[in-house]
Amino acid sequence: MGTKMAMRKRYLYEALTGYAFMLPFIASISIFLIGPLIYAFIISFKEFSFLNPGASRWIGFENYIKLFSDPTFKRALLNTTLYSLGVVPTQLIIALILALIVNSDIKGKTFFRVAYYIPTVTSTVAVSVIFLYLFKADGLVNALLAKFGIQGPTWFYDVRFALPSIMMMAIWSSVGNYMVIFLAGLQDIPSELYEAAEVDGANKFQRFFKITLPMLRPIVFFNLVMSLIGTFQVFDQAYVVSRGTGGPLDATMTVVLYIYRTGFRDFNMGYASAMAFVLFVIILILTLIQRRLFKEETY
Amino acid sequence: MGKKFLSILVLIFFVLATVLAGCSPSKTSESKTETQETVKPVTIKLGMWSSSPAEMKIVEDQIAKFKEKYPNINVQIETIVGDYMQQLQTQLAANTAPDIFYLDSMPAPQLMSSGVLEPLDEYIKKYNVDVNDFEPALLSAFQWEGKTYGLPKDYNTLALFYNKDMFKEAGINEPPKTWEELKDAAKKLTKDGVKGLVLSIDLARFNAFIHQNGGSVYKGGKPTLNLPENAQALDFYVGFITKDKVADTPQNMGEGWNGDAFAAKKAAMAIEGGWMIPFLKEKAPDLNYGIAELPAGKQKATMVFTVAYVMNKNSKHKDEAFKLIEFLTGKEGQQFVVEAGLALPSRKSMGAKFKEKYPERAALVDGASYAVPWQFGLDGPKIVDAANKACEALIMGQITNAQQALDNAQKEVGQ
Repeated sequence: MGTKMAMRKRYLYEALTGYAFMLPFIASISIFLIGPLIYAFIISFKEFSFLNPGASRWIGFENYIKLFSDPTFKRALLNTTLYSLGVVPTQLIIALILALIVNSDIKGKTFFRVAYYIPTVTSTVAVSVIFLYLFKADGLVNALLAKFGIQGPTWFYDVRFALPSIMMMAIWSSVGNYMVIFLAGLQDIPSELYEAAEVDGANKFQRFFKITLPMLRPIVFFNLVMSLIGTFQVFDQAYVVSRGTGGPLDATMTVVLYIYRTGFRDFNMGYASAMAFVLFVIILILTLIQRRLFKEETY
Repeated sequence: MGKKFLSILVLIFFVLATVLAGCSPSKTSESKTETQETVKPVTIKLGMWSSSPAEMKIVEDQIAKFKEKYPNINVQIETIVGDYMQQLQTQLAANTAPDIFYLDSMPAPQLMSSGVLEPLDEYIKKYNVDVNDFEPALLSAFQWEGKTYGLPKDYNTLALFYNKDMFKEAGINEPPKTWEELKDAAKKLTKDGVKGLVLSIDLARFNAFIHQNGGSVYKGGKPTLNLPENAQALDFYVGFITKDKVADTPQNMGEGWNGDAFAAKKAAMAIEGGWMIPFLKEKAPDLNYGIAELPAGKQKATMVFTVAYVMNKNSKHKDEAFKLIEFLTGKEGQQFVVEAGLALPSRKSMGAKFKEKYPERAALVDGASYAVPWQFGLDGPKIVDAANKACEALIMGQITNAQQALDNAQKEVGQ
């Protein structure tokens, strides 16, 4: 009996110590994250403006209903989906290839590792500005195309090319991040597996598909989720390239950019919050689907 | 050892310096109040954006002069960097917004209607401010339901900037005065990769043409985007690019905005405001250009962009705050605006002085009397978006009929 009590006491003491250590984090996350989250959820059911919170009124699901007949929101959702579909697979495949390259025994691999990672640590706004210069009507890219007799489009100002241009930019600038994570995963794969496979006479492709990929599964899942969330929240590239308008003709209007414009320019915080929650649900569902596909035990 | 000692010494020096610096202003203000009267000094916070060091200097100079007059009112400048309205909105919500602050005419209706601003009528009466001296188009932008919420600090109008050398070469002696002359000039000036005119996809530019044609995108509190006069004007504007091919957008020329294209001599004419002057001085100092009033259609019209000082409803020192607004928008404060020449002074009496000082910029001042303010009620931003999209669709050839493009725009705003 006595020992049980003592154990219980000790357990309680340890739990308290644990919570005490977590307190700063819990406090800050509830004040700065969970609190605002709940508040945003509440105002998504209101007609709400920060300018005059007193005059806000409860309108139930009206914001949510309005969303689904709002052509700009639909367009933003379509753009974001296209963007995600284009960026996620391309970026992960390139990242994996790069990781395989810098993981092999080539000369100067440290240089390549750094070179591929640099775009990731560069500010997106700076990158966007550089790309604006490269892709302007008489910019470097078009000058290069002209050498081959191709009349280049105006890229960011062309309805057909604006979104793909942003996609290219996103892939270029974030591929390094995923490469590093893949690289860490690659280096965690025990070399005995490869040695054994080699003894068994497996060729390079067999080794890649039978050992590397299955062993990387949790990393692929992690990268996929992160990349998907990141692409669904795309904002800064679209903001800089279109100067906040989402133009030309809504070609670069993304969901987050529309949320920002609705909240801070049209002063309609309630409607903006409703959009944010719809986006949240979409990302949540996609993540759950992926989890299912990758099966829980590997994660 | 010696190094360590030195670094400690430096550290002590810095600590002392900051402590002393922190002390000194409060000390001087205390001693001043004792000599003046026993009124406690108050601090008024002034919120602004700063587009350039020159603009910052105007406000600092104005405040130095203000302090001479009112020694017991301290003014603290709070510059908002980044998105001004975003930050101001959160500050207003958190009750930490400055006592007085800049407000652009476009978002003004939202703020005036939501009750976060203090109406100034009472103070105007109390301190006997001559509001009739303000250009009427400017003041009306800050009036809502019969009350005045802001006093305009300065403004800018649109004018025609033209390259004098190119005009000479093309044998044009005078800047165009009518729509026909404008088109004619643009045709003559277009050659060797240079366009006659650079036109941006922006209601802030083509709205001048709409009004020159007797149209309007906002009338009687309602969006009126699809009036036939508007369609005609937009058709004329876009026609320079799509039909006559004597103009282009700055983006298609590989430039960021009209100013860049004009400075790079890729276009002979541009429709812009007074902000072009310092810009051109820096970017193209030897460009020989002139400023003329915008060519008239059925009538003369231009756009006016203005910013006012407004007062926070929750300010704790409203009388002092108003004294500051009164000074900054009064003749003494406006003198600094005249001197700097960045924007035009909002008072008519001072506009005359500006013209005297800068005769070559007279067109900008003259435009004020027939200018339309950049403001379209509570749905302003939506109207601008819809109109710009209509213009964009026409230029990109997605729609060929201006009336149809504007009908779509009206529908978009209507819902």
